[in-house]
Amino acid sequence: MTRRLAPWVAGVVALAALPAIVPNSFYLHVAIMILMWTLLGSAWNLLGGFAGQVSFGHAALFGIGAYVTMILFLKAGLAPWWGIPLGGLAAALVSLPIGLVCFRLRGPYFSLATLAVAEIVKLVALNWETVTNGSVGFLITTFPPVRFFGLAVDWESKLPFYALAALLALGGLAATAWLQTSRLGAYLIAIRENEEAAEAVGIDTVRAKVLTFALSAFLAGLGGGFYAAYFRYVDPDAVLNINLSMEMVFIAMVGGLGTVAGPLVGAVFLTTVGESVRERFQVGHLIFYGLFMMLAIRYMPEGIWGRARRLLAALRARVLGHVAA
Amino acid sequence: MSLLEVDGLTRFYGGLRAVGDLSFTVGEGEILGLIGPNGAGKTTVFNLITGFVQPSAGTIRLDGKSVVGLRPHAVAARGIARTFQVVKPFPGLTVKENVTLAAFLRHPSRRDAEAAALEVLGRLGLGHRAGDLASQLTLMDQKRLEVARALATGPRLLLLDEPMGGLNPSEVDVASRLVDQIRKGGVTVVLVEHVMKAIMRISDRVVVVSQGEKIAEGPPAQVVKEPAVLAAYFGKRAAP
Repeated sequence: MTRRLAPWVAGVVALAALPAIVPNSFYLHVAIMILMWTLLGSAWNLLGGFAGQVSFGHAALFGIGAYVTMILFLKAGLAPWWGIPLGGLAAALVSLPIGLVCFRLRGPYFSLATLAVAEIVKLVALNWETVTNGSVGFLITTFPPVRFFGLAVDWESKLPFYALAALLALGGLAATAWLQTSRLGAYLIAIRENEEAAEAVGIDTVRAKVLTFALSAFLAGLGGGFYAAYFRYVDPDAVLNINLSMEMVFIAMVGGLGTVAGPLVGAVFLTTVGESVRERFQVGHLIFYGLFMMLAIRYMPEGIWGRARRLLAALRARVLGHVAA
Repeated sequence: MSLLEVDGLTRFYGGLRAVGDLSFTVGEGEILGLIGPNGAGKTTVFNLITGFVQPSAGTIRLDGKSVVGLRPHAVAARGIARTFQVVKPFPGLTVKENVTLAAFLRHPSRRDAEAAALEVLGRLGLGHRAGDLASQLTLMDQKRLEVARALATGPRLLLLDEPMGGLNPSEVDVASRLVDQIRKGGVTVVLVEHVMKAIMRISDRVVVVSQGEKIAEGPPAQVVKEPAVLAAYFGKRAAP
């Protein structure tokens, strides 16, 4: 039990200490991005990594979370700490009909269907101007004053957002850890391994996939809501972009599919690689990013974390072997 | 009353009739052989009973209750388990994990499911391979795993689709004893099989299907002498 809790405790301590260590707010921004992408990678990983259902449309769920949070704040005066979870719930609700339609298809056909759904959602956001403001989007100018344990929260500082992102990322990782030990998680792996055999042994594959999709959508919607509050700007190009869907796929794949820590590792690598080449090469930085992706997938198909875990296990076996001998 | 009653079962694929007006019953504790030439529709019958394919017409009843229209997982919950002609293990999981997933159907807690899985594996002589990946097993052991997984769902009726296909003669003997042992364990068995020696030895009764229709039914020794059966297998000139 202590061995399983140890990494969590270490993670929480590291997250709490980080703001005191980083030299300036740029690094805090990078940390916030890593945490947000950890959440999003985890969201995608539940469905893609465990159930083997590769979605190319998670941007739609992210975008719904972002829009709901934004619209509730600007039109109903509901603060983001209510808006973000409601954005997640909205994304989960929308995922149900999407799942019922798309899960009729298997493999690449499912993936293409999710891609199409994401484009539909984007077109709706662009054209339903009374609700979404179309291509103009929304902008938050000021946040409501908030006191937290008697202290006024400074929204101009990045610290409150860092705390929020840390909480969300931990939530995403915890959801994955829970799934890994649950019966639902075992069912998903069975579906990934052989869907017909899973049905034959009594697993309701549609139910398992729809439930997981809803959980995944909830987390992606939380990520979108956080994005809206942090960047204070939402428009279809920013939050319903296909790049977002792809980034979630890459983070989970580079980190390690179907593992708890994979999305965290993937987010750390891809965000830092992305930010550092962006700094050095104004033009064409995506070439280096792409190159890194290709190398990672070519030489570590099980992901960075997947590979590291295997090496660690081999090392442990060797050391224990020596002790025994 | 019979455990399984199939009445007027029909399935069309476009204009092609894969199964036509097929009726048969299986009694509790019986071993029924379903035989017929290649392409006769035997596997389709299994797919129809287990909900993988929906019938165009006809009824299928387990214990008097219809199972038509149920999805495969719901049919399994009612107590009908099956194996696949081409084995479908969960290749990346261990033997024990494969069977535990099936045992979840009757044992919601992981500990109970794992215990049930180990019990079934022991019964089928796969206990020593519990920790190995399913993909590492020999074909014979993969077929055993397929049976173990089906049994772990706690079925009343087990449908075996060519459990002996691809096995050598001594393996066929082992498999035959296994089927008999399963029946002694209280599970009714229907098996599709091409290995006639095994069918003759272990089935109480056989149903012969050709081009989707039943052409004969009865004790194995008697059925193989019927002219219609000989004609279906060897052509009309071979039949007396």
